[in-house]
Amino acid sequence: MSNHSGKSSLQRRTFLKAASAFAGTSIFGGVSFKAFAQQAQALAPADHCFVFAYFSGGWDQLLNLDPRDPTEFTPERISETRILPGYSLLSQDPSYPTMPIRPQGSNIAFGPAVGRFANHFDVMSVVRGINMNTVAHEVGFRYFLTGKEPNGSAARASSTATEVVGQLYPRMANKPPVPNLAFNIESYNDRYGGYANALRVSSANDLLLTLAPGPTALDSEIEKQLLDMRGQPVSCEAQLYDSRGLVTQYQDARKQVRTVLDATLDRYFRFDSTTGDPMAVAMEKSATVARYGLRVGSNGLPNDPRSSSAARAALVATALKKGVSQCVSINMASGLDTHFGTQLTQANNQRQGWNALGDLISDFKESDHPSGGKWIDHVTILVFSEFSRTPLINAAGGRDHHITNSCAVVGKGVKHNHVFGASGNVGMSAGVVNYDTGLPDSKGLPYLPDHVVATIMASAGLDYSIMRVEPLKGLQG
Amino acid sequence: MKTTTSTLVLFAAVFALVSCSSKTVEKPAMEGTLETVDMGHHPPTVKLADPEQNQGHIGRKPRRISVAQLRESILTTTGRQWSQINALAATLGQADYALTVSESTEVNLVFAKFLEDGAREVCLATASADLNKPAPDRVLFPDVTITNRDFTMMSDDAIKANLSYLAIRFWGQAFSDAERDSWAGTFKTVAARAKTINRPEQAWGAMCIAFMTDPRFATY
Repeated sequence: MSNHSGKSSLQRRTFLKAASAFAGTSIFGGVSFKAFAQQAQALAPADHCFVFAYFSGGWDQLLNLDPRDPTEFTPERISETRILPGYSLLSQDPSYPTMPIRPQGSNIAFGPAVGRFANHFDVMSVVRGINMNTVAHEVGFRYFLTGKEPNGSAARASSTATEVVGQLYPRMANKPPVPNLAFNIESYNDRYGGYANALRVSSANDLLLTLAPGPTALDSEIEKQLLDMRGQPVSCEAQLYDSRGLVTQYQDARKQVRTVLDATLDRYFRFDSTTGDPMAVAMEKSATVARYGLRVGSNGLPNDPRSSSAARAALVATALKKGVSQCVSINMASGLDTHFGTQLTQANNQRQGWNALGDLISDFKESDHPSGGKWIDHVTILVFSEFSRTPLINAAGGRDHHITNSCAVVGKGVKHNHVFGASGNVGMSAGVVNYDTGLPDSKGLPYLPDHVVATIMASAGLDYSIMRVEPLKGLQG
Repeated sequence: MKTTTSTLVLFAAVFALVSCSSKTVEKPAMEGTLETVDMGHHPPTVKLADPEQNQGHIGRKPRRISVAQLRESILTTTGRQWSQINALAATLGQADYALTVSESTEVNLVFAKFLEDGAREVCLATASADLNKPAPDRVLFPDVTITNRDFTMMSDDAIKANLSYLAIRFWGQAFSDAERDSWAGTFKTVAARAKTINRPEQAWGAMCIAFMTDPRFATY
């Protein structure tokens, strides 16, 4: 009886296997189901992804993460508070509120320029009162990027993205083809292999060059002959030469190239055209264009990250969700070094970046991650600038460089709807806090970018010893 | 009887001792190395590591060529330069000593992808140019007699001879007979296809791509 049952089960299994193989072959147009599944598996997104979003030029934190009530910090009290929010100077554009924003249920108050980013208070922590120890652009930027105070203006450690990839990549079963991607931003590697180096691109075209077939094509039959030749067994001498694995590594890289090219990932980054795309891909791209409100940029293309912050956010989402990258560092907004500009210029330039980030977080909140849960449960976003701008407006109507800074950490690994630390109510001085609670404490200690980066790394289960500081328990989720 | 046997054993032992000690004792090779052949007039050679006692390794660890080496190698082997090599140098691992202070010679997807792109550009351009040159000036098939740009007319021996020439040109290494025969078989199929589609440059151009994207070109 049992034998009969076993035989029946075997036949049924054999039939199902054959049926699924047939269905796979039919559905994927000649590509076997196994090959298709392997390809999908090979490009699965990382379980924990990271985004490092940089606002270039030094942001005015009164307009974003560390606002002040203008009815309390009035022009009349300047000599006492040394703080002037200046929100009334935004009144030329009625879309800007003239008071700090606090969405319903939020423990975090935001400045008027954060736009749609404020809607995501429920998945973020804001860190205020960070001591940057510098008011030089390159120094502050490299400090936050690496979590280590530079030597002079020279970076003294790997970028945090490189640290993350350097530690995680060797352990990953499904290695992303471009694990560390940097759009228009510096990247450093001082102690990891080349696998952790960022692919630094200044435009979407650079990325497309990597993901798309080369411009010089061979006849498809000749192409196949080359592929077959590469798959032939190697001689004993070749095996001996490869005893340390370099040749295997090269051959694996070539297979990975094939996988990436076969997946035609480049088409997902060509937001400006759906020509030749299968229906599903065209619909997905249309949804991306609509979600991020992509518009044609100055070069006539909507997919160039130089054209808008929105296009950059869409590229970040695509790179992570398609399994191309695990860490993306991106220059999200620029034009913030407004010594002579108006408050409105600063606010407009900031808001583009914040709105794009808001759309990116919405995307992560709504999209399912293949390993379960939503994407926002699998991604950590650090939003930073090199320093902030002075709390007082200068004689030219702008603001100069200020040493106290703030940042936002969104998603996995940090507390949500939470404010850590505070800047002083006189001249927005750097804060001192109790590290465990994040509450201002006159007996507490100052905190630096090192602490923020150490917290992010510790939350991801990574070795943060290179930071030489302990993570902030009051920030860890 | 017993005494006679003991005397014989003692005699044999003494004889053996005398015969061993009269032999020249050779100095054993250093542990974990193989003896090299003494060429007499050459300076002393370094002993090769014995792969059996070195986890299967022999010699130093192979390395990927740097961007500067790649640039020179392409120029030396094909006589022309890949147009994108300077634009992609940083991506291929060249240090700029401002942001990147060490040369990356990592073999990764980006290197493999761009080397493939570069090989295609350079090889097809070289093969196209060779079609219009007299035999001695050609790079990829200098000793081949071409009839109507048709490489299917080449004899097996001519194909193998040209492949051997290219192996030395691109890798500085000779082919094994088995591998050369296998490549020759591929070439015949490629040449037939190139003739069918009337793209004669793709015949030796494709083989050039195979040589240039082979690990023996990109590592040393």
